[in-house]
Amino acid sequence: MNLNVLICDDSSFARKQMARALPPEWNVEIHFAGDGVEGVSAIREGKGDVVFLDLTMPNMDGYGVLETIRRDDLPAMVIVVSGDIQPDAQERVKALGAMAFIKKPIDAEKARGVLTEYGILTGA
Amino acid sequence: MGAATAILTEDQRDCYQELTNVAMGQAADRLARLLNAYVVLPIPKVSVIENSDLNMALQGAHSDSSVSAVCQGFIGAGIAGEALLMFNDTSFASLASLMKYSGPLSQQAELELLMDTSSILIGACIHGIGEQLEIVFNQGHPVVLGQHCDMNDLLNHGNNGWNRTLAIEIHYTIEHVNIECELLLLFTEDSVKALNRKIDYLLD
Repeated sequence: MNLNVLICDDSSFARKQMARALPPEWNVEIHFAGDGVEGVSAIREGKGDVVFLDLTMPNMDGYGVLETIRRDDLPAMVIVVSGDIQPDAQERVKALGAMAFIKKPIDAEKARGVLTEYGILTGA
Repeated sequence: MGAATAILTEDQRDCYQELTNVAMGQAADRLARLLNAYVVLPIPKVSVIENSDLNMALQGAHSDSSVSAVCQGFIGAGIAGEALLMFNDTSFASLASLMKYSGPLSQQAELELLMDTSSILIGACIHGIGEQLEIVFNQGHPVVLGQHCDMNDLLNHGNNGWNRTLAIEIHYTIEHVNIECELLLLFTEDSVKALNRKIDYLLD
């Protein structure tokens, strides 16, 4: 069964940019969510083995998603992809259980770097 | 607004918002390092507004307090705009304490704080948007529009004769302290055509 990858961002441009940055040979199912609430439901439906998560979103922001994942012990490896590059933001999301942090704008090289570093890509 | 919104499609508006999101994050990072504080990032608001609505939009943001404001023009690749940064005057005491100013806060000291923070926020934001669009913007000299003034007076000063304006509004606050400012990026109507071409290239 393929790995399910969820891209959770309120910007459709950012979602497309993220999807395009994923390694082409990575054999995964890609799903999309437009805010944190949609993101959490998708993760509950098993669509988020790996989640690329934006922080600044309406309805529920990325911090809320991370808190929910932790509280309900949802199975998701979260990589935060954000324009909020303050050192504080990076520490906060790591403390909330995010595996990695990628600074926006995303590109193929950054995506491959993180996926390789955490051994997610080699499993493909 | 009806007819005015026609000059931006939803995809274009979304793209401006995302580019701004990245640029304002870079600006916030620089301010956070300067103040040693956490800058709270909102979702930026992108809209096309008539000049008359601009006054209303701005008054909505700061109707109940006196403000100090700086503006700075920028130009590059056939695109021209104006950045306007407004601080709530109540922000200066907290800014001064984060910047380790001591003693009474004179008008001159407030002016320095205003110029220092605006140069960071405006500079980094303009640079960040330009970088993503592969445009080098040249910035003009910053101009102090006023200290401790009423928003109405400020806006009467700035009647620029544009009809419609692409406006990007960013409302920055600093966590745990009373610092609030509004950064407004305004592009001329002619610039929006050139900007949209750049945006469409990214959206392709």
